[in-house]
Amino acid sequence: MTSVAAPDRTGKTEAATPAKPVKQGMSRKHREWLAAALFILPDGLGLLLFVGIPMVLSVVLSLFQVSGFGTYEWVGLANYERMFQDPMFWESMRLTGIYVVVLVPVLFCVSLGLGLLMKQKLPGTSFYRTALFLPYMISLAVVGLLWKFMLDEQLGVVNKSLRGLGMEGEPWLGKPELALFTLIAIMVWVMMGYYMIIFLAGLQDIPKEYYDAARIDGAGPWAQFRSITWPLLRPTSFFVLIMSTVAALTGGLDLIFTMTKGGPANGTSLIIYYIYTQAFGFGEYGYASAMGTFLVLIMVLLAGVIFKVTKSGRFDDGQ
Amino acid sequence: MLQHGKDAGTAPPPTRRRFIGGAAGVAAAAAATPLISGCGGSAKADGKRLTFWNFYAPQQTQDPAIKAQAKWLTDLVKQWNDSHDVKIDLVFIPGADYNGGYKLPSAFAADDGPDIWLLSPGDFLRYQNGGVLQDLTPHLDKGVVEDYGDSLNSRTVDGKVYALPMEVEPLAMYFDVATWEKRGLSEGDIPTTWDQMLDVGDKLRSKTTAGLVFETNPGYYQNFTWYPWLWQGGGNVIDGDGNAAFDSKAARQALGLWQDAVAHGIAPRTMPAAGDFLSAFKTGLVGMWMNGIWNVSNFKAYAPKHKYGFFKLPIPPGGKYSTALGGWAFAANAKGNNPEQAAEFCAWALGKNDEECIDRMVEWCTVAKSDVAPRKSVLDRATEKGGYDFWALKKFKDDIAPGGRAEPRYPPVVYKAVSDAIQGTMLAGKGVNSEVERAAQSIEAFMKSYKGASLI
Repeated sequence: MTSVAAPDRTGKTEAATPAKPVKQGMSRKHREWLAAALFILPDGLGLLLFVGIPMVLSVVLSLFQVSGFGTYEWVGLANYERMFQDPMFWESMRLTGIYVVVLVPVLFCVSLGLGLLMKQKLPGTSFYRTALFLPYMISLAVVGLLWKFMLDEQLGVVNKSLRGLGMEGEPWLGKPELALFTLIAIMVWVMMGYYMIIFLAGLQDIPKEYYDAARIDGAGPWAQFRSITWPLLRPTSFFVLIMSTVAALTGGLDLIFTMTKGGPANGTSLIIYYIYTQAFGFGEYGYASAMGTFLVLIMVLLAGVIFKVTKSGRFDDGQ
Repeated sequence: MLQHGKDAGTAPPPTRRRFIGGAAGVAAAAAATPLISGCGGSAKADGKRLTFWNFYAPQQTQDPAIKAQAKWLTDLVKQWNDSHDVKIDLVFIPGADYNGGYKLPSAFAADDGPDIWLLSPGDFLRYQNGGVLQDLTPHLDKGVVEDYGDSLNSRTVDGKVYALPMEVEPLAMYFDVATWEKRGLSEGDIPTTWDQMLDVGDKLRSKTTAGLVFETNPGYYQNFTWYPWLWQGGGNVIDGDGNAAFDSKAARQALGLWQDAVAHGIAPRTMPAAGDFLSAFKTGLVGMWMNGIWNVSNFKAYAPKHKYGFFKLPIPPGGKYSTALGGWAFAANAKGNNPEQAAEFCAWALGKNDEECIDRMVEWCTVAKSDVAPRKSVLDRATEKGGYDFWALKKFKDDIAPGGRAEPRYPPVVYKAVSDAIQGTMLAGKGVNSEVERAAQSIEAFMKSYKGASLI
């Protein structure tokens, strides 16, 4: 670091006084690195404390038979062996697969559609934007109770409306083949507002000039979407895809707990609920940890596949 | 300390860095104090303060029934605290969190379970096999075990009592008088057989009224409400010798009954009014609903003028009447802060022969709640005092409860096997035979490797 005498009002620099000895400190690069580290530190500590360490402990726990009353017995990989032979585990994984494969694309399309709609300067847009975001702010337990009443077989507003239209009502949560899709529809209702806002932010980042130029070239709405919106929205789409996949794999517990308890006939017993019941219902903490670890591995693999396929949302890099 | 004069002028002003550093130090010291002292203070550590986890009190509520129950428990603990050195703190956990929630199991898993808590029969073996149930027998007055009689069966291991029931809750079939009359039915139509029950349910049902309601949500409670139908045909999940006995004609016909009721649209696939029993009755959503004695006090509190009735569960051809007797019990933690005093509290509250204890239990079973008393002396005293003069309670005491069996204490694997069979046949249309065989195999496999207290 060097010291320079300040110029006087005439612009002349005063005769340089002997410069003070300069401390030999960190380089600019190191100082920036330190600042960045300090900024990350609180969040990093939180992640380490509440995510990292529990994850490691969970992996360790999966190697033990845990009584639920403070006793641990080393069983090695026995919990994983049990997991691979447990038909209910595979059934829960199958249901979770259906849940993710249906929920994520539907949520993606609905949120994107709403984002595009909200970008238009239509009357009442602010109101609708807020209204659509509201379900996301309600606790899932409350959402579950609300929908439970609305889907009531006899007097629920959904079946009453259907009957009003001359159609038969359905036991939406009483048939295994319906209950899972009912939950998916409710999850879309809950989460679409959040992802709509993310898409909207992405859409607003796209320079307006691109659309102006396209219009001058005679491009219609579909051509504009295909050639401008979709490619430039890819980083946002990638983020939504990753986040909604993780949310689908790990979320929904509160909703299942309040609405179906995993029923009917295990029809909504997603893996996250199965893990919960094994741990807190049956006291099988070791086994539940093994399934939790396996689920994390699946998520890491899925995220890896999405990263690979979408090139982290940057398809056009280098083209 | 403020400084004046010369020194004050020379003292360096506190910098932001110094302030943050100081604040961090104070925060760290504050955070470290409870850690060093063991989080709970000395009273807890030396067993002078015990916790009592429950789903009644203390809580603020406008609900008159819950208010009365909360008051009973609060008064009980106050009475103990006023006369004993070891004090008890009530810890309220909402019912939804208590039953099937994670708080209680997590606390025990972390070796930080409550000293005293309310235990259901369905959970008994898990805690017993986990070694956390304190033997209450030495703390009971002489003759109390005999006074409890069969009510203690599912809380006893090798002749020792590990939990004390505070109530007996039998199941019956409730019906809505207005709906019955609307369909041209009268008391003479009260069914005594399964076929009659399905016929009546068929007459009661409409697009907006469920004819006959069985529990549809999977869980310990659904199993609890299904067992009587199994027992009526002479069936069991585990027989008297402790062997798996699920593969039976009785299991097939009990599963078939619920399956037929749903398949023919007599019983709904989901609970009417989202499971709100009273609302369903008040709005005419149900004709019949299998439910427990506790709804007598609910009707009293919320719908005192609503006309309802109930009858003994109908039986199959050649069957014998039975119902399931539920109810919660006090239990003491053998690994808690002061197991002996926790056990003494349970016995003092529910296991003494003195007038105070008996009157207290009378109050709980007939005033705060509507239950059959678990002890003969309490039942006699309550009857003398007019506690069972009300027609509904009298009928539960005299007609419904006799012939009933205590809720079984099957461990999770057995519970789950039965639950899957009920759910599969009732709501997924799976074959009764295949579900019985699958459940029986699962129970038999479990029994081969099971090590723990007797399942019966």
